[in-house]
Amino acid sequence: MTADASAQITELAADDHACLTFGESEELFDLTAAFLRDGLAAGLRVIWLSDDGPGPALAELARRGIAAGPAVGSGQMTAAGCQDRLLDGPVFRAEAAVGWLAGELAASRREGFPGLRVAVDMSWALRPVAGVEELPRFEEGIAAELAGSTGSVLCQYDRDRFDPVTLASVAGFHTRSVAAATYYSDALLRVCRQYAPPGIRIAGELDYRAEEPLGRALAEAVRLEGGITVNMSAVSFADASCTLMIAEAARSAAAAGRAVTLACSPAAGRGFARLGIGGVPGIKLVIAGGR
Amino acid sequence: MGGDPVPGLPWPGPGAPPDSPALVDQEFDDGSLYALRSAVGAHAAAAGAGADQVYDVVAAVHELAANAVRHGPGHGRLRLWADAGFLYCQVTDGDTAGPPAGDAAPWPAEHGHGLWLIGQVADRVAISHGSGGTTATIRFAITPPGT
Repeated sequence: MTADASAQITELAADDHACLTFGESEELFDLTAAFLRDGLAAGLRVIWLSDDGPGPALAELARRGIAAGPAVGSGQMTAAGCQDRLLDGPVFRAEAAVGWLAGELAASRREGFPGLRVAVDMSWALRPVAGVEELPRFEEGIAAELAGSTGSVLCQYDRDRFDPVTLASVAGFHTRSVAAATYYSDALLRVCRQYAPPGIRIAGELDYRAEEPLGRALAEAVRLEGGITVNMSAVSFADASCTLMIAEAARSAAAAGRAVTLACSPAAGRGFARLGIGGVPGIKLVIAGGR
Repeated sequence: MGGDPVPGLPWPGPGAPPDSPALVDQEFDDGSLYALRSAVGAHAAAAGAGADQVYDVVAAVHELAANAVRHGPGHGRLRLWADAGFLYCQVTDGDTAGPPAGDAAPWPAEHGHGLWLIGQVADRVAISHGSGGTTATIRFAITPPGT
């Protein structure tokens, strides 16, 4: 499913320096939320440096069923803007930014945490920042700090906005590359695994031509433990055969005691509503717009 | 071609497409169903259908066209008319060989979920098998937004 050097977000461990190249914000937030959720669950100290700052970051976690409030209150989690931690006004200095990470690693050890997880959105480097050419030195410095430590860092690069030369210049300093497991992807449709909450995510136009990857994705989602979410909030069309296939998978999972959520766009939700799937015990049908 | 008598359909009569040029007249095959859906959606909306009905019209036409692709000759033609408060969509498969022999049924007589869906959303459905192939015509009473 993924290349040799790449990993599932749920497989990252201490001293990993992972590079996430994302194509859309939904993918970024899904993988980041899973990384932070697993860190919190393991009792690690967790820091999310996002482009939008703490408010939207915590709201995004809440939307995915992760209540980060208590962890923020207890000091286990910090959400902040990149600007506040990595930059000095409009100036970036690799040494200072790596020093910030070293300080956090030391502090988390001092405070008795078994490890530290840091997620860093690198979008700040797309803005006119002095010293941005030090980006590779920053990544190299992170790699050196993390080696043999109990910390892991997830660096997030927008693959459409960063140029290939920049991406190539930093790739070598990462120990793993992370991507969502993808069952199908072309110009019209993307079917991939969703990590927070667990399940699958479908975006685009879904018709019988995608029955095979859809079947694989559903089968894998059913093999995971716990509740299953099929995120179809970005599905603009779903034909009868695929709607029926998802409905049948949802029915059998719900009958086996699994909580199933079908999160739909209005276009996708219409087919499920017509089947009466919202009335099946154990299945929650959520249609954007509240209909 | 719009308005040509179609074998097996009540013509002229209630439920038949109007005798006027079609708003959409488009060939399709396995690789062009997306473009077909896009055209049907745009014209259904332009004819005054609300968003929910646009989804339904697109879904119904897709099922007819997908049947022609998967169970018929692999391609077909869609025509769409708007007239006097109704949308008419007609899919022909142009399979002049006629219904296949043996157990295989001509499309879309393979009653599946797609045909059930069409019956749910269209207010009139006519299907005929003739020398020009299989023709399915469906009609929708246009439901404006918010109704």
